[in-house]
Parts: sequence; structure tokens; C-alpha cells
Amino acid sequence: MLKTVFNVIKTKHIQTNQGLQCLGPFTTQACKFSNTSQLCHSEKQTHEEKQNISKAMKAYLDRAREHDEFMNEQNQEYQLGKRHLANMMGESPETFTQHDVDNAIEYLFPSGLFEKKARPMMKPPEEVFPQRKAAEFDETGRPHHFLFYTGKASFYQVLHDTVQHIVDLNRFEDAMIRKGMRPDKDQKINLSGYQWIDKDSLEAKLVETIGDKDYESFVQAFERLCSLPYSYKVKDFIMEYRKPLMSQTKAHDAPKPQYDENGRAFVTTYECLRKSARGDVTIRSPGTGKISINGEDITYFDLLQCREQVIFPLLFTNMINKVDIEANVEGGGSSGQAGAIRWGIAWGLRSFLDQETIEKMRLAGLLTRDYRTRERKKPGQQGARRKFTWKKR
Amino acid sequence: MLKTALVFVSKRKLSFSKVKYLSPTANPQPQEKIQSFRSVEHDPLKHTYNHVGQFYNISKEDRNHLFNYGGLPKTYLTQAKTFNETCVMIRQPTIDVIECLKNIDYAKPAVRFVIYGKKGSGKSLSMAHILHYANRSNFLVVHVPWVGNWMRRCQEVSNSDTKEGFINLNVDAAAWLLHFKTQNSHLLEKEDLKIAQDYVWSKREKTEKGSPLLDIVNHGINRIKFASDCVVIIADEIKKLSNSGVCKTLVAIDGFNAFFYPNTRVFTEKKEKVHPHKVVITEAFLNLTKNDWKNSAVIVTVDEIAVAEEDQISHMPRYLLGKEGFEHLDPFVPIPMENYNQKEFKSVMDYYRDRRWITPYPGQDEEVSALSANNPYNLIKVCAPL
Repeated sequence: MLKTVFNVIKTKHIQTNQGLQCLGPFTTQACKFSNTSQLCHSEKQTHEEKQNISKAMKAYLDRAREHDEFMNEQNQEYQLGKRHLANMMGESPETFTQHDVDNAIEYLFPSGLFEKKARPMMKPPEEVFPQRKAAEFDETGRPHHFLFYTGKASFYQVLHDTVQHIVDLNRFEDAMIRKGMRPDKDQKINLSGYQWIDKDSLEAKLVETIGDKDYESFVQAFERLCSLPYSYKVKDFIMEYRKPLMSQTKAHDAPKPQYDENGRAFVTTYECLRKSARGDVTIRSPGTGKISINGEDITYFDLLQCREQVIFPLLFTNMINKVDIEANVEGGGSSGQAGAIRWGIAWGLRSFLDQETIEKMRLAGLLTRDYRTRERKKPGQQGARRKFTWKKR
Repeated sequence: MLKTALVFVSKRKLSFSKVKYLSPTANPQPQEKIQSFRSVEHDPLKHTYNHVGQFYNISKEDRNHLFNYGGLPKTYLTQAKTFNETCVMIRQPTIDVIECLKNIDYAKPAVRFVIYGKKGSGKSLSMAHILHYANRSNFLVVHVPWVGNWMRRCQEVSNSDTKEGFINLNVDAAAWLLHFKTQNSHLLEKEDLKIAQDYVWSKREKTEKGSPLLDIVNHGINRIKFASDCVVIIADEIKKLSNSGVCKTLVAIDGFNAFFYPNTRVFTEKKEKVHPHKVVITEAFLNLTKNDWKNSAVIVTVDEIAVAEEDQISHMPRYLLGKEGFEHLDPFVPIPMENYNQKEFKSVMDYYRDRRWITPYPGQDEEVSALSANNPYNLIKVCAPL
């Protein structure tokens, strides 16, 4: 945007400049600043050619130049750092990608911090520093956008467009009724599986901060638009503001069972984890419900609860007497081991079940890995969260 | 005409409410339900392989007679008390032993059976069933309810006067004598059980040759100091009597491996650990389990629970008995005690449902079977809160 603005300034007599095009439909404002050299160059020219530049524009240009310089500096630092890193890792700096950088940082500065954002990182400056809006007004200080003084120009532009579409579609509907035609049912817009983009994404998209009320009215306006019979005519516009729902079961396809020398199908699940227990589970089908854990039967677990944990996926899927289970598990305590085996059995059983039952198992939480672990004790406290008894005196 | 119609109706088992009966006598009484889990035969003498998996009832008199002073596991006893009947399942290994006892040539040296199995698989109850059989078939029963009671939780310890360096378990020995007396009261009252030599206890006390065996038993009970020696003497006398054909003897010892497990909890006055072989009564039962006598059978169980918890590694006889014990018993007939099979499991569950001990729900059997791994003891534990 900025670039186009200065194009206007620089080549003001050229008629087919981009700046003018941008003023009309006002598509997007999420442009970055252009690079400094061009800016400085253009600025000089500006000074020479245009004396009556507004204060706002002047302040803006200063800020923009500063920002550009800063970004340039950061970028150079980043490039240099990347080369150093590549040399340290003994790889070619030319082919060193961002992925390699991340790996190198993780290797060189291992961090046990829980919060991922708090861990050391090295990213291109564009990702680290937030984007800023380009100038919204010309050199005389006159805003480009007719909604500039609302303070949220792009947000109200979206609402404005929505209403315009509603009006257009209503008019179109009237015309069609007059012609005696009905909307095409096949083309009806299908919104299931999608949801409106959330407030944060909308803010990022518009490069503006909006309030909760604003977001509500955004959703209402779009719902209204969608409810119109001919809304499929503006499908592209609507879909711009929708995103797919959380992908259902990430298609971890169940492995195909292998066959042993007796012709029995078997599936082995490795890396069954729970707390600090690690194990692997083999399921054999057809079987008679024999369960062996580290060579013992289910009485390996003294606690009844642990035994229930182990057999729960089998009971849930009604496979208790149809498969044999062999499990090896080590580390951790009894409940962790039982949990690890439970997950292993549920995970392995998918190979022998239909999709519907697997979905049921997923909903029952059998296929979800339990990541909870013991929380460490903190110094100055009695436990992980509990504080020492406080007495006034 | 009416009669035939009624017969037809009752055969088809239609609901009776639809039929109008002219007199109350015409109303057929509902027959007693045939319970497949309950044996019709309650006499252990008549138990065969057909009864395997069914429950039979030990009558109250027999129970008081045989197991008044121990012999039934505690968990089982609580359940029996709740159900108000002592029902024991007839199991395959038990019938195996009983069939053997029926067919043994008693003129040959004693045959020794070793019942072994995992914890809680029913060894002691199987032995109780065998004891019941032996009692019915007029065996002289020498039964030790649990050797672990002597070696791991004995009551009173004193140095033996008669044997240098040996230990007497006075109270325990006397209690066993009482147990022996109750179990064999009907046989001991007979005249023909007489002792073969004089026994001089002290200057004044003496048991003469030809007096009944009961005298020694009573002497041990009354004079606790001599109880351990009495046990040894009784063992010796029983062997002599059996050899001469006066009586048939069944030796039944539960937790026999405790006699060969050195880590006992019997301590001398100096707090030194006593090896089981340094306990006087051990000698009696080691003597009885030799096969140098006839007219007898020996049944022992080896059990993990009779040894300390840290040594409960395997349930196999060779491990539990050790080299010495294994060679002492060798050759023997090993009787493995397994967990319930499908049929037995079904029978137990039916029995519990019949006693209203558990509330039925669909899929109960599979779940309970998986949870308990079909182990009898575990099954009791799992079913307790159901």
C-alpha cells in the first residue's frame, strides 16, 4: 500500500497507477512497509516536489522510515545469525532453511520451559515484530477511506459490504420472483463443517482491534446474509470469513493386522505411554480373552481399579472374549502401567473394529493419550500447589 | 377331558393364570427348580467325575466334627457364614485324589500326593473335601490345618527337656492334639488303638503299654509341657498301628513347605532364629510323611503363603520345598490346582446369584471373569461388593 502511495507521489502524472486502483474497492490494508532506500528516495523527492505536506503525513513518514530502518537492521542481523548458525552446525549457509534454524536452536539451547513461547528462538523479523498498517491518508492529510473517521475503517468496510450484498440479493430475489423463478436448491450454500473465524483471526485479518460487541454484529450480519435464499451467489465473499471446524479424528489410520505362523491376525502397538510407564501391547485375534501382562495374568495388578482400566476398552467394544492380549510394560506405578496398557489395547483394537465403533471409542476418550504427569513440588511450598500453613503469629 | 387338558397345559408351561382351576388341588404346585450348580449327591464317598463343577453341602455336624479347630480358609468361612451353609465345589483334582484313594493298594508303602497351585486356587478347600471323604471312609485323619501357624506365628516357645537344643511349641502342639482328638473322636474311643510301649513322663507320670492312644492325647492336652513330645509319640504309634493293620491313616498337611523353609519366626530366648528341623513337632510330621509304612496315604499342599513374602517367587513344589524337602517327599504324585474353568466359573456365579450375593446385570460374567482371572480367591474378592 505504502509502495503504491509513493508511486503516486513519485509518478504523479502517470494515470494508470496502482494507488488510484486501491482507493476504489479498498481491498486490503495489511501491507507491509516497503524497504527504506526506496522510501528515502521517494521522501527526498517529496520534499522537493511537494512543500504543502500535512503534519500527520510527515509524522507518519518519519515513523515509517524508522520502522523500515529497524526492520532492515533486524533482517541483516537475522541473515548473519543464520549464516553463523549454519557454520556452527557444519552445513551450507546457502541451503540452511528456517526449519534447520529451529532444529539448531533446539539443539544448542535445550530448554525445559513448559511455555513454548518462552523457549529460545530465532525467527525472521517479519514474524517476530507485528505488522503495521500503511498510511491511510494522502500527503495532504486527507484519508483515503471514507470510513476513516470511524476509527475501524476496514471493519466497517466489511459490514458495509455485507449490507450491500444483502440489499443486492434482495433486489435480485425480487427480480427472480417477478420472473417466476426459484433459487437453485443444488447450489444452496453448505455451511456445515465450517465456523466463523474467531475474533483474533478477524483482528489479524483486518489489522485492527475490534470489541466483543463488534464481533457479535459481524457474526449477526453474516448470519443474515447466509440466510438469504440466493446467498450462494456471494459464496466467495462468505467463505473468506469462515474456517473449517476442528478436523475430526485426525485420520490416524489403523494399521493392517499382520499374521503369525498360526494364521492369527495380530497388531502390536508400541510406545504406550502413561505417566512414566512405557509399554507395548499385542492384540491377537481370534482369541479367548486371555490377558498376559509381563508374563502374568491380570492379577499382575493387585488393585481392582487397575484391572478395570485394562479390560475397559475390551468391554466397551464387546471384544472381551474375542481377542488375546499380551502386554509388556515397565516403569511407573501400577495405575500408570494400567493406563498405558488401556491406551495400547484401545489403539490396537482399531484394526479389528468398524469405523462406527472407533468413533465411539474416540468420543469415550479411549483413543486420547493422557498427557497428565505429576507436577513438581515448588520450593517455599508444601507441595505442587499447596502452601505451608499460614499463621499470623 | 379336563384332566388331559390340564396335563397339556402344564407340559407346555403356559402361564397358570389363563387356566381356571375348579379346585385348589387341581392347581399344580410349581416344581422345585433344578439347580445345575448344586450337586444332588452330598456324600463325598459317592462323588464322581460327573459331579465336577457342582457344589455339595458339608453338613453342620461334619463341619463341627472336622473343621472346628481350623481347616477352612478364613475368607471362605465368612462367606459360608453369610450363606448359612458350607458348600464346597467338587473339583477335578479333588476327585482325582479321591479316586486314587479308593483304588490304592494299602499293603504297599504310603502314596504321597502334593497339591500345588497358585495363591487362592483352592488347595485348602480341596484338602477339606478330601478330609471329608477320609472321615466318611473311616480313615484315621492326621490333619495339620496350616503349618505356617507354627513356623511363622507360633504362640509359645520353650526349650525341650527331652531333646538337647530343640524347641517346644507347647500351646500349638496342645491345640493340635485337641484338633486331632475332635477329628478322630469316633475312632479313638474304640478299644483297639493301643500303644506298643511304656512312656515315662516323669517320676510319677507314666503311660503303660497297652493303654489306649487317647491317653497320650489327653496327657498332652492336660500337661502342656509334654504336648510336643506327645505329638511325636502319637505319630510313631500311629505308624505302628497302621503297619499292623489296626487302622487306615490319612495324613493331610496344609502348607507342608513351611517345614523346610529356614526363615521362620520361631525364636529362642536369645532371639536366635530356629530352623524348622529344630522344632520338636516337625519331627513327628516328617516321620509321618515318609513312605516306610503302609495302610496309609499322605496328602500335602505346598503353598506360597507359607513362606515369607519376599520369597514368594514361584508356586512350584521344587522351589517351595527346596532340595531337601523335595528329596524327602520324592517320589510323589503332583496334583496341580488350576483356576476355575468356564464350567466351574458359571457354576460359582449361578450359586452366588442363587444366594442373592450378587445382583445380576448383562455382561456380568465376562467382566467378573476377566477381572478375577477366574481365580477362586480373587472371585470372592471381586464379587464381595457386587
